[in-house]
Amino acid sequence: MTTENPNIPEEVRAVAADGTQLRYALMEMAKGLDDIIALGRGDPDLDTPPHIVDAAKAAIRDGRTGPTPVKGMDALRAAIAGHMRAVNGLPIDTENVMVSTGGQEGLFLAIQALIDPGDEVLVPDPRYTSYDDAIRRAGGVMVSVPTNREDAFNLEAEAVEAAVSPASKALLIVTPSNPTAGIVTEDRLRAIAEVAIRHNLIVIVDEIYGKIVYEPWKHFSIGSLPGMAERTITLDAFSKAYAMTGWRCGYVAAPANVIDAMARVKQVTTGPVATVSQWAGLAAITGAQDCVGDYLKVYTDRRAVLLDGLDRMGFAYGEPRGGLFVWADCSSTGIHATELSYLLLKEGRVLVFPGTAFGEKWREYLRITMLEPIDTLKEAVERMLPVLERYRA
Amino acid sequence: MQTARTLSRPLAQRVAGDQPHPPAPSPRLQGGGAQLPQQVIEAACSALDRGETHYTDRPGIPEFRAWVADHLRERYAISVDPAEVTITCGSTEARFVCMTHLVPPGSTVLCPGDASRIRGAAQLAGARIADSIQDDVCLLYLTPDVYRETSIELLQRAEERDWWIVYDLSFALTSSPFHPAQNEKLASRVVTIDSLSEQLAGWRLGWMAGSEMALRLRAGKQAMTICTTAVSQWAGLEWARTLF
Repeated sequence: MTTENPNIPEEVRAVAADGTQLRYALMEMAKGLDDIIALGRGDPDLDTPPHIVDAAKAAIRDGRTGPTPVKGMDALRAAIAGHMRAVNGLPIDTENVMVSTGGQEGLFLAIQALIDPGDEVLVPDPRYTSYDDAIRRAGGVMVSVPTNREDAFNLEAEAVEAAVSPASKALLIVTPSNPTAGIVTEDRLRAIAEVAIRHNLIVIVDEIYGKIVYEPWKHFSIGSLPGMAERTITLDAFSKAYAMTGWRCGYVAAPANVIDAMARVKQVTTGPVATVSQWAGLAAITGAQDCVGDYLKVYTDRRAVLLDGLDRMGFAYGEPRGGLFVWADCSSTGIHATELSYLLLKEGRVLVFPGTAFGEKWREYLRITMLEPIDTLKEAVERMLPVLERYRA
Repeated sequence: MQTARTLSRPLAQRVAGDQPHPPAPSPRLQGGGAQLPQQVIEAACSALDRGETHYTDRPGIPEFRAWVADHLRERYAISVDPAEVTITCGSTEARFVCMTHLVPPGSTVLCPGDASRIRGAAQLAGARIADSIQDDVCLLYLTPDVYRETSIELLQRAEERDWWIVYDLSFALTSSPFHPAQNEKLASRVVTIDSLSEQLAGWRLGWMAGSEMALRLRAGKQAMTICTTAVSQWAGLEWARTLF
C-alpha cells in the first residue's frame, strides 16, 4: 500500500511529501474527531512547574514586561551561560548566549546567519523535517547521513565523514534525536568532533531533549570538547525539560560573532522574545531543578508502558535512550506508515505520526509520543491492537 | 572563546556587516507592563492559572483570530475569514514572513513610504526596495501614512500587474477607514499586518490576515516559531476585546 491509496483522504495525500505539513494535516484531521488520544505532537502534557508560573505572574503584576534587547535580558543570558558551563561543560560567557523564540527559531537563526546558497548541511536521517525550511530558505543543500535501528540510531563519525564534500559547511546533530529517541554517545561525539575539525565544519547541535535521557545513558555536549567551542552552535530551550512549550523561550550558545550575526537576523525576523517568557525562563534555570528529575521519572515509567505495548503489537524499535518519543518499526503490518497512521486515527482514534513525516524513506516507521498519562497510553495500545489485527497483511 | 573562522561567507558578511534595522521608536509606544490595565493583568494571570502554558493552535487561539476578523470587518468593512488569520510574534515576524514568501529573490518591493521596517527582511529575502515603479516589482508595501492619492494610483498598478499588497497598520500615525482590500479585485492579494506592540510592548503580539496565500504564510511562521507565546495571546485578546 502507498500514499496513493484512495482510502487516504486528499488533505493527507496532498501534503504527504512535506513532512511538516503532513504532521499538521493529521493534527487538523484529529481535531475534527471525537475522543482522540493524541500521541503525535511533542507537547508535554505536564504543566509548567508552579514556581516558574509564579515568577511570570509576579513579573506581570510588577509591570516588568516591557521590551528587552533582541539578544534577551542580560540576567537571563548570564544565567544560561552559567548553567551551560556547569551542566554542559561549555566554555562560554554571557556574550556567547542569546535567547530565542523557542528552540526551532534558534536553528532558523543559525542557518540564516551561517549558510549561503550551495552550502551543504549534513543532516542525520531520519530528521526533524521542520528544519528543512530553514535550510532551503538559505539556499543550503541537505545531505543525509544514515543512521539505523540496529545501532539505536547513534551517529557514526565514519558516516559523517563519508558525506563530507568540498561544499560541506555544517553538520546538524539532534541529540537526543527527534524522531528516533536515539542519542549520540560521548565516544561517537569525540570522533565526530575530530571529523568536524579536520574538515572545518560548523556543528549545530540541538540539545532540546538533553535533560530527558534515560538511565544508564548520559547526555554529552560536543561543544565542551577541545577545539569545538569555536565551531559549535548549541541550541536548547525550556520547552521540553520544564514543560514550557507555550512560552516560546529557547536559547543559543555560540561564538560571540555568531551570536551577533544571529541577533541581527532576529532583529528583522521576530524581534526579542516575549519578556514574560524570559522571566519564566530565568525562574526555570535558576530555580530548583527537582521538577526536571520528577518529569524524567514520569517519562521513564510511561516509556516502559509504551514499549510493552509495542512488543504486543509486534513492532521493533531502536532503544529509546532519550527524548519523548518512540520510533517504532511497523513493517510487520505490511502497511505504508502514512496509511497506517490514518487508519489508527480514523478507526482507533489514536494520533501518531508516520515515519515519512521525518524523511522520505521511513515508510515503515511510526513516531509515537509518551506525552499522555499511563492509563491513557494503555488505552491507546488497546485501541491500536485491533486496528493492526484487522489490516495486518 | 575564539570566533568561528568559517563565519566569512557572503550572507554572514551581509548580515553581520550591516547595521541592524531596529524599527523606529513610535512616539506612542508605551513602556510596557507598568501601564497595563488591571483586566489585562488578570487575564494573563488567569490564563497561566488554568494552564495555558502549552503550544496553542499553530495559527493562534481561535478567539483571537475571530476578533481580528471581526475587527477588520467593523473597522474597514473587509471580509477576512478567521482561518486566514495567523497570530505572530509581533508585526516584525509578519513582515518577514510576507517578504520571504511573497517576494522571489532578486525581485523588487515597491515602498512609497518609510522602508525602515522592511529593509532588513527584504535583504534577507534577497529582494530590492524601490520607491518608484520598476519592471520587476512583485509586492507593494503600503501603510496608512502614505498619501491616499499615491496609494490609489499604485493600487491601480497593482491590479494591472498582479502585485501582492502588504498593508501594514502597525505603528501607523494616520488613522483612516481606507483599506486596499475594499477593492474586491485586489482583496485576494492583500495581506493586512497589525500588532498590539504599542499597547503591549514586550509581549510580542501581532498578526497577518487575508489573501489567497494565507495558509502558505502560516506555514512560514510555523517553520520559524511554531506558534506565538500563549500567555501573550490571552493578554492580547483581553486588551483587544475591552480596550482596542
